[in-house]
Amino acid sequence: MAQTINPASAVLAGACANAPLAEVLAESAHPAPAAAVAPATLPNWLLRQSHQQAGRVALRHKRLGVWQQRSWRQAADEVHRLATALRASGFGEGATLVIVSRPRPEALLAALAAQWLGGVAALLDPLEAAAGHIEVLRQLQPQAVFAEGLLEIERLQASALTPALVIYADGRGVASLNPAGLALADYAQLALRETDCPWPVQAHAERTAFAFYRYAASGQIEQQRITHAELLQQGQRLVLAEKLNEQEEALAARAFAASGQARYLLAPWLIAGFCLNFPENLSTRDNDRRELGPTLVAGTAQTYGRLHELVLSRLPQPGSVQRRLVDWALDKQPGKVRKVLGEWLVRRPLRDVMGFTRTRAPLLVGEPLPITTLDFFAALGIEVRAWPDLAQWRDSAAAPNTQVAPAAPALPDNGWIANGAQAA
Amino acid sequence: MTSIYSSFAATATTKATALVPATTRATAQAQATATAPAASLLTLEHISLSFKGVKAITDISFAVERGEICALIGPNGAGKSSLLNVINGVYQAQEGRISFDGETRQRMRPHDAAVRGIARTFQNLALFKGMSVLDNVLTGRNLQRRSSWLEQALRLGRAAPEDDRQREAAERVIEFLHIQTWRNALVGKLPYGLQKRVELARALASEPKLLLLDEPMAGMNAEEKQEMSRFILDINREFGTTVVLIEHDIGVVMGLSHHVVVLDYGHKIGDGAPAEVRRDPAVIAAYLGTRH
Repeated sequence: MAQTINPASAVLAGACANAPLAEVLAESAHPAPAAAVAPATLPNWLLRQSHQQAGRVALRHKRLGVWQQRSWRQAADEVHRLATALRASGFGEGATLVIVSRPRPEALLAALAAQWLGGVAALLDPLEAAAGHIEVLRQLQPQAVFAEGLLEIERLQASALTPALVIYADGRGVASLNPAGLALADYAQLALRETDCPWPVQAHAERTAFAFYRYAASGQIEQQRITHAELLQQGQRLVLAEKLNEQEEALAARAFAASGQARYLLAPWLIAGFCLNFPENLSTRDNDRRELGPTLVAGTAQTYGRLHELVLSRLPQPGSVQRRLVDWALDKQPGKVRKVLGEWLVRRPLRDVMGFTRTRAPLLVGEPLPITTLDFFAALGIEVRAWPDLAQWRDSAAAPNTQVAPAAPALPDNGWIANGAQAA
Repeated sequence: MTSIYSSFAATATTKATALVPATTRATAQAQATATAPAASLLTLEHISLSFKGVKAITDISFAVERGEICALIGPNGAGKSSLLNVINGVYQAQEGRISFDGETRQRMRPHDAAVRGIARTFQNLALFKGMSVLDNVLTGRNLQRRSSWLEQALRLGRAAPEDDRQREAAERVIEFLHIQTWRNALVGKLPYGLQKRVELARALASEPKLLLLDEPMAGMNAEEKQEMSRFILDINREFGTTVVLIEHDIGVVMGLSHHVVVLDYGHKIGDGAPAEVRRDPAVIAAYLGTRH
């Protein structure tokens, strides 16, 4: 049977005050006037948003066919409760929380909780083969793990590790299966558990916030560590360059394990304070994007490539009258009539089908797009803008990089490198 | 005979291992021993059924315990589907009686069976092909509605809040069986394997105590069978639903079931745990064709 844990430690309980949590946390985040100094870490930015726009929607997740939402205050409270539970399990500064999950708000909030305590969120791609995960897990020896569901827990069991706390979001099949005696805890229960014990943010700007892992061609495990300062610097640059504000709607539609997602989606989310949406699951993300119509899309070449293929597969057969109309409307250099008619008859409906009707910041992170795909999006009136993937992979056996990364090459004020020739 | 039997048993085990994940299989078997129920959910006593003098089922008795997965196996024409039809009232047995959930009856109409918590799927799909997946699943919720047809037609009184509740319940089933991607797709346009899953979803939506599955994996490839096996085990484990299924793939049956009943020419020739049935000479003879 699943072993339940009591996240409220006696030490913490003794130290707790009865002051309202939100007020205490706000004070902890902003000892000085709130707007005076920009927060230096991700959890501090969360607290600032919770203070400044408490009731506004921070996260939305489609579940049971309906978009469920969390306000900034709810998100901050949830992170604090998770941090309390992590702390009670012995998680502290420098500790690692491994996250193996598809995109879902619980995984993001768990990462922020680990960072709250000065820890590192190590993100593993849930779509990768289990064998690869087992090796990385053994090397990392994490203090805590966020495993999305049964399959991810089975991977943890296979690695023969027993972290102090294993949080799961999807309890299906978990309760009756725990031969390894893992300290399993249901996310929903931890997130609901009341705590009036304020625990100040212990993150530091120069410490690692996220770590990513991959296998090099040589078979060695490589890691990429990103500090709070680095993330916030790049996030701020994107927010300024793309003029992002709290009105944006973004969709987190990739497996929760890419550094580009942390740099160009998570950090801007906290800085600009917009709403971050999570699809029902990866197979419904294109439907969910269409339903949502995000204003900010931070995708990779695969994201745009998949959408391109999806549209091509649904276009009328080549040679048909309808297809000729589409080709006519998507001409690279249309005249005035063609531009207007094409917009109303073809381009606008196509953008609608793809979920790009409202998109004003279509961003490409990482590898460049094939020219055909780039042309296709340009013909639809979607100017995809490339942002650099600043990934610096190094041997995971090397000492962890906890210092602020060296300053990036000088960029224009808006952070944008003209002509799309971005650093890779 | 011994060597042939060994081969049969070995094949069955290998297939079962391949089709049902090890952890899930272990859980099913552990559950079978750990949760020994006090009373049977379904008991058939001396059931006989004939069609114009042709005997389809002869004097069959067995019991299905609460929370177990019971497989009905046997060669074609053994009477498996007829027996399923007797259980949910489509056919009325000429002799014998059926006890379900503490109540014994000689006759039961299909509607009564559904009201009392028996749901089923069919060998040949019986879906509303012109309707969406969601609407098909919602039809499985009809018996849970309390509002009158007038309230529903005019969306008055209890109808609106009830609609929300039914929709949520249907969505939970859709999520459980991982068919969200096709929620709004027309059922008739889906591949066969998915249609089978939609039919299972519709049956599950009625929150049955007993789920009758008539060849739920017929026509599926190995991957689809593995997926369906996992869903059936999950339904049994997560909701505690008792399952009676007909399946021809012996590997699947041995890996999935707690209890196996073997029929041949309308007679019961085996009844017990998978390991016992696998060793039963009468069963081996029936499957290898040496008996007839």
